Amino acid sequence: MRVLLIDDDEDLRTLLSRYIRAQWSDAQIEAYDPLERDLPGESFPLGSYDVVVLDYMLGRGDGLEWLRILKQRADCPKILFLTGAGNEIIAVRAMKAGADDYQRKQELTREKLIASIRDLTATEVERTVSPDLAARMEGHSLGAKVRIPGIKVLHMIGEGGTARVYLASREDDDEPLVVKILRHEIVLNKKALERFMEEYAMVERIQSRHVARIFGHGTYDENVYLVMEFFEGGDLSKRLGGKPVPPAEALKFFRELMFALGDIHEKGILHRDLKPQNLMFRRDGSLAIVDFGIAKNIAAADRTGAGEVLGTPRYMSPEQVQGRALDLRTDIYSAGVLLYQMLTGKHLFDGETAMEVAMHHLNTQPPPLPDHLAKYQRLVEKLVEKDREARFRNADEVIGFLARNFEQDKPDVTQKLH
Amino acid sequence: MNAEDYKVTVAKDIADLIPVFMKNRHKEVDALRVALAAADFEQLRQLGHRMKGVGNSYGFTHVSTLGKHIEEGARSGDRAALAATISEYDEYLAKVQIAYE
Repeated sequence: MRVLLIDDDEDLRTLLSRYIRAQWSDAQIEAYDPLERDLPGESFPLGSYDVVVLDYMLGRGDGLEWLRILKQRADCPKILFLTGAGNEIIAVRAMKAGADDYQRKQELTREKLIASIRDLTATEVERTVSPDLAARMEGHSLGAKVRIPGIKVLHMIGEGGTARVYLASREDDDEPLVVKILRHEIVLNKKALERFMEEYAMVERIQSRHVARIFGHGTYDENVYLVMEFFEGGDLSKRLGGKPVPPAEALKFFRELMFALGDIHEKGILHRDLKPQNLMFRRDGSLAIVDFGIAKNIAAADRTGAGEVLGTPRYMSPEQVQGRALDLRTDIYSAGVLLYQMLTGKHLFDGETAMEVAMHHLNTQPPPLPDHLAKYQRLVEKLVEKDREARFRNADEVIGFLARNFEQDKPDVTQKLH
Repeated sequence: MNAEDYKVTVAKDIADLIPVFMKNRHKEVDALRVALAAADFEQLRQLGHRMKGVGNSYGFTHVSTLGKHIEEGARSGDRAALAATISEYDEYLAKVQIAYE
């Protein structure tokens, strides 16, 4: 394996080289310092490398420009482009300029680097024998096939149980977007397909700044897709990183979550699957909820079959665990579990199995908050009451409680805008 | 900052890279001070940007956060904020405690 590593930071070149050599001991790595050397010229043996890792800011040069020029060469190998976090338009432009993969530099871990290089350099045989790799390759090629009017699907950035997720862009202005393409097995499952389509129909109806914007949906060659806004700030899970957030910030996020719930409940919709991965941040720091895959219309007949429990056990309400009919207080409970996690950095309940965690929601009293968070105890208690009759009745009631008790904790003014 | 905020955990297999990494960070503080004295905001922005990229990669999240503040301060030309952030960076480097696991 031969790798060309172009980055203006010596420490980063050293670190990435170390990661690559730890994985491929015979790797030959050329650390290329763009502060010392110009863009590789025609005589540079670019084709002798298997992969190029190229940074987007090169001190003296523009990584995107280097990418465009290198990609014009017939002998150009695969290029992994390193972009800035929170500026996805760079990633859009890199993929349009021919990058074969991209990673956000600030979030680049050893695992992400190795996985990306492995994907880019895998032989045909490796792509066939490794099920994970084969699945990712299938995802990448699917994204390249799907045609959406006015939208360019650029690169697969994630996979979930129901859909593959792609970075895409609006062709007019390169605005980063997300395209979700439903898995074939879900398309074949009439019930799951109905849920996915409901997600689109419901979210489009909501029109709230606290809910992900949906720009369209449709089908292409038996592929069902959804186009939605891209969240450059990532999700709450990433923001938490297993640690608490300062109480004032936790309360700000929680308050925004309450506005979001107020908006969706007002439209008669329950989310039913609130969790850190479903709370997304925009570049301006505002929060929106996503993934209404299992949300349902409150008024609709309950189509959840006996014994089928949807949701994520860590955030499930007791009535959800029991498979009882739900009302909006189920989301209030899940939001309370999220608040506890934001304040403490810990899960409300832990367990060896999903079932064990779920049973705690039914039978175990929540642990008290640590002393320094005691002022939030009453709030958390009333959110995660096991008896929903004793819980806050709706988001407005919670917002009122926050206003009366924690107004001074607001780090800035959060307005409800529509 | 709390005492906990000064604790950083680094993977053992890159422990040998840390002395050079730290030496470069101290040099960075000097470079930041020189750039601020010269009101060279472009240089400050580039240095901040580099801190942002390299800090997280080595597990020094706070270096990235300070890099972000420096980049923003350089963009807005806020000398007072930049001076405060550079001092904070210097203090952080003096107090940081590194554990290897």
